[in-house]
Amino acid sequence: MAATNYNIPPQISFSTKLKQNFFASPLDCLISVLCVLFFATVIYQFVDWAFLSSIWSAEDESLCRDAGGACWSVIDARHRIIFFGLFPYEEHWRSTLACVVMVATMIASCFSWFWSAFRLSFLWVLGFGSFYILMHGGVFGLSVITPERWGGLALTIFIFAAVSIIGMPLSIVLALGRRSKLPVIATLFGLFIDFFRSLPLLTILFTAAVITPFLLPGWLLGDKLYRVIAGFAIFFACYQAENIRAGLQAIPPGQDEAGKTLGLNFWQRVTRIQLPQAFRNSLPAIVNQFVITFKETSIVTIVGFFEILASGAAAYGTGKWTVHYIEVYVFIGAIYFMFVFSLSRYGAYLEKKLRVGNV
Amino acid sequence: MSDQSTVSIPAVTMANVNKWFGEFQVLKDINLEVADGEKVVICGPSGSGKSTLIRCICKLEDHQRGDINVLGTELNNDIANIDEIRREVGMVFQQFNLFPHMTVLENCTLALTLVRKKSLKEAENIAMGFLEKVRIPEQAGKYPGELSGGQQQRVAIARSLCMNPKIMLFDEPTSALDPEMISEVLDVMVSLAEEGMTMLCVTHEMGFARRVADRVIFMDEGEIVEQSDPNTFFNNPSNERTKLFLSQILQH
Repeated sequence: MAATNYNIPPQISFSTKLKQNFFASPLDCLISVLCVLFFATVIYQFVDWAFLSSIWSAEDESLCRDAGGACWSVIDARHRIIFFGLFPYEEHWRSTLACVVMVATMIASCFSWFWSAFRLSFLWVLGFGSFYILMHGGVFGLSVITPERWGGLALTIFIFAAVSIIGMPLSIVLALGRRSKLPVIATLFGLFIDFFRSLPLLTILFTAAVITPFLLPGWLLGDKLYRVIAGFAIFFACYQAENIRAGLQAIPPGQDEAGKTLGLNFWQRVTRIQLPQAFRNSLPAIVNQFVITFKETSIVTIVGFFEILASGAAAYGTGKWTVHYIEVYVFIGAIYFMFVFSLSRYGAYLEKKLRVGNV
Repeated sequence: MSDQSTVSIPAVTMANVNKWFGEFQVLKDINLEVADGEKVVICGPSGSGKSTLIRCICKLEDHQRGDINVLGTELNNDIANIDEIRREVGMVFQQFNLFPHMTVLENCTLALTLVRKKSLKEAENIAMGFLEKVRIPEQAGKYPGELSGGQQQRVAIARSLCMNPKIMLFDEPTSALDPEMISEVLDVMVSLAEEGMTMLCVTHEMGFARRVADRVIFMDEGEIVEQSDPNTFFNNPSNERTKLFLSQILQH
C-alpha cells in the first residue's frame, strides 16, 4: 500500500458518500428505496405515455383510443393553430420568420458585445422593425394583416418582447425617480409605482383595452394591442423598478462619493457606477420578473387576444380533437418551459459571470 | 509658508467655516490656509470633525456658513465651480471605494476618458504609468475584490493621481488595513509628498506625520485646537487636550 499523502485533503469515495448520505440507518435505507421506486414509477409512466405507447401522425388518429398513450396526432394536425392563431394560412411563413427574428434578437442581446446603449437600440430597432414588417405587412408587396388577427406563439413572443423593451428603460427611470433627492419627485414616482403595484394585472389590461377608448381622444388611442402592451409594460416597469431600487440601495455610499471626487457628473455616475452595480446586486430578482412576465402574457386572452394558450384551446376545441386537450397542454407547457428555462439558465450564467471580482 | 502664499494662490482657504448635522455642530469657525505644496496632517479623537473638514473641501459635505476657496475658486452651490474643483482635487478614502465591477485598469481610466476626454489608449498609458508608480502594474487586469487591502488602497491612490490633481486629500487611508499592509501605503504617500504634492491627510500615523508634515493640526469637538510644525507638536504641545490625546495614542 502506498504511503498516505498528507499534503492533500483526505479523499472520500463515491460509495462511502452514498452510504453516509442515504443508507446510514435502516430507516434511511427504507426512505431512500421508497423514493427511488416512487420517482422511477412516475418517470416510467410518463415516458411510456409520451413516447412508448403514443401515436404520432395525424392519419393514425383512429388508433389513439386503443394505444393507451399520448395521441400526438392532435399536434401534428393542429400545430398551425397553436403557433399562428388566426393568422391567414398562406402567410404563416411570415409569422414563422417573425418569431425567428425576434428570438434571434433576444438571444443576440444576451451577448455582452451588444451591451451598449447604441448597439442595443440598433439591434432592437432592427429586430422590432423586421418583426412588424413581417407581421403587419403593407410594404414590399406583403398583404396587410392587422393585429387582431395576430396570434399563437408569435403574439406571445411579441407581447413579451415589447413589454420588456418598453418596461426595462421605464423601470430604470422610475427607480431613479423614486430615489431622487427632491422630495416632490420622489413622492410622485413613489405614488405612481405603488398605485400600479396595488392593482391586479387583469384590471390594468381591462382598463387599457376597454375603458381607455372612452377617455382618450381617437388620435391617441392606437390599436387595442398596443394599449394592452402599454398597460402591461407600466405594470412590469413598476415591479422591475422596485427590484432595481433594491439593487441601488445596496451600493455603499462611498461608491458615489468616489465617482464625485473623480469629477464624474451625475449621469456618468448613474450609468457607469450605480446602474451596473444595481443590476448585479438584484440580478436574480430581475430575471425572476422576466420569467413571471413571460408566463403572464397568457392573461391577454381575457381581453380577446389569441396568444399561444388561447390558440391551444382553439386547437383542441373542434370535432374529434376535443378529447386530446392533455396532449395540447403538455405541448404548450413544453414550449413555455423551453423559453422560461433558457431564461433562468441564462440568469444563472450571468450571475456566475458577473460575480467575478465581487468575491 | 508666508513667502509661498504671497507669490502663489493658496491651495485651500477656509474662513469661519461652520457646519451642522441637524442640531449637532461638527465644525466651529474653522480658519485654515494651506499653501501650495504644503503637507498638512490632521489628527484628533473620533467625532472631532476632521473627516468632515476635508470632505468639505471637495464638496462631499456642504458647509452652512463661512467661505471655502480652493485653488482660487469659490466653493459654493455653482455646479460648474464644484466640478472644476473636483477635477483638481483627488481624494483617497478609508474604505478604498474602488469600483468592484471594473478591473484595476478600468478603475483608473474611467475618469480619464469621461472627464479628461482622453482616448482609451492614451488613458491606459497614463494609468499604467501611475500603477507602476504605486508598484502594482502586474495587477492591472484583476478586479478589486481579488486584491489585498493594501493593494486596493494603492490602486485608489493611483486612480486619483491619474486625474493629475493639484491637491490630494487622504481620509484615514490606513485605518482599514491590516498592520502589515500599512507601510506599503505610507511609502507611496511619502514619495508623493517628496514630489511636492499639496496634501491634507487625516491620519493617526504619527511616524508619517513626523516624517513628511509641514504642519500638524489637532482638532477636538469641531475646533482646530492647536497647529504647529511636527517637532513642536510632538515634543512641546501647548494645549492640555493635545497633550492628553498624544499621551493616549503614543503610550504603546
